[in-house]
Amino acid sequence: MNDYLIPVLLIVLAPVIGGLVYGFERIVKARMQRRIGPPLLQPFYDFLKLADKRQMMVHSTHAFLGIMHFVSLWFALAVLLLGGDLILVIFLHLLSTALLILAGYSTRSIFSHLGANRMAISVLAYEPVLIIIAVSIFMINGSFDTALVFAGNEPLLYKMPLAFIALLLVLPIKLKKSPFDVAEAHQEITGGVELEFSGLFFEAVYTAKWLDYIFCYTLVFLFAGSNILLGLGLMAFTFLYLNALDNSSARVNYKQMLRFSLGVAFTLAFINLIINSLL
Amino acid sequence: MNLAAYRKKSPWILHYNAGGCNGCDIEILACLSPKYDIERFGMINTGNPKQSDILLVTGPVTKRSRERLVEIYAQMPEPKVVISCGACASTGGVFRGMYNCEGGIDQFIPVDVYVCGCGTRPEQIIDGVVQALAILEKKTKALEEPVQLKRAAKQEEGQLNRRELADDIKPLLT
Repeated sequence: MNDYLIPVLLIVLAPVIGGLVYGFERIVKARMQRRIGPPLLQPFYDFLKLADKRQMMVHSTHAFLGIMHFVSLWFALAVLLLGGDLILVIFLHLLSTALLILAGYSTRSIFSHLGANRMAISVLAYEPVLIIIAVSIFMINGSFDTALVFAGNEPLLYKMPLAFIALLLVLPIKLKKSPFDVAEAHQEITGGVELEFSGLFFEAVYTAKWLDYIFCYTLVFLFAGSNILLGLGLMAFTFLYLNALDNSSARVNYKQMLRFSLGVAFTLAFINLIINSLL
Repeated sequence: MNLAAYRKKSPWILHYNAGGCNGCDIEILACLSPKYDIERFGMINTGNPKQSDILLVTGPVTKRSRERLVEIYAQMPEPKVVISCGACASTGGVFRGMYNCEGGIDQFIPVDVYVCGCGTRPEQIIDGVVQALAILEKKTKALEEPVQLKRAAKQEEGQLNRRELADDIKPLLT
């Protein structure tokens, strides 16, 4: 009973915690630029304001796909936190991203199409690395179950440090942070796939972004196993690293992103896999 | 729960230059910089009409930009407010009466707040936005329409013809 209490609480409160993480991130980013920054609850103010806008819908499938993106992402997060199969989690996350890409293609707006194209490319950039990391975990534990990872006594970080570095290199692509934010590119294609969403339906996409934070930080936490203190340290380090990188780098184009992620991050993860399977 | 109270806590701004000299645009960007930091009021410069609350227009309306201005305005979901930023957007400014220029933006879309100056100062822009927020809080979700250019685009040879949208008001301009 007690084993499930914390994961279930985390799953139910995931949007709230994710919103707080996002609010805190905006403050940290502003302080890095010597600004004061918005209040901590700013994402929730945005949420309440968007609920009050007049409803505008491109077509019902588009709105439905946006909402399903949120639901399936929440489901993937639930499977991850309850100790399910890691490969299943990665593919469920891929499914939720695919729904958003479909939503992008379903409108007639060119920016939406461009965003969907770029999002598909960024999936191509980070997905192989994640799968190689999952296979490395299989090599060590003999199982894809994340429950075993959470219960493991020796943290995975010591067994596969290269995989952690590879994860750090692809996380900016997944969270759409500079320099790998071609999929969103706010000044260039004004948000890409989320361009045509408005009001309540944009809220689903906006909140899904908060869930993505929880998802990614849980992936980071996996590397600490049952060592909670190390896990919190890793999450704090990743948080600072992501924001510092986001503030200090300019956007690269999709070819450079693909070359970097498949050339450097994928190679690192693969070397790690070979070392793990040899030992 | 009174949702209208949260409108002024997260105003998202859409900035459109209808054909000015970029002076006011630079001042708007200065508002985002560390010295003025309008993000501390929750404002974001979104660039997406479907998700924004405040339309910040700079520059006089040119013959090229009038349909785009009206289209952007029509794409914003209510409640929304329009701020005309600078002398040119309010009256036409130094460009008034020129062959390529239609004058102020209030000929085409309803304007809620006029901000004076050439170019406007960041303090004035922030003051204008704060006044616009008071108006935004009182607005309803009823449909608001642009005042002119009501003629629909024509389907012509497989594509939309928007060239004659402004024909109704041409006599007024000459």
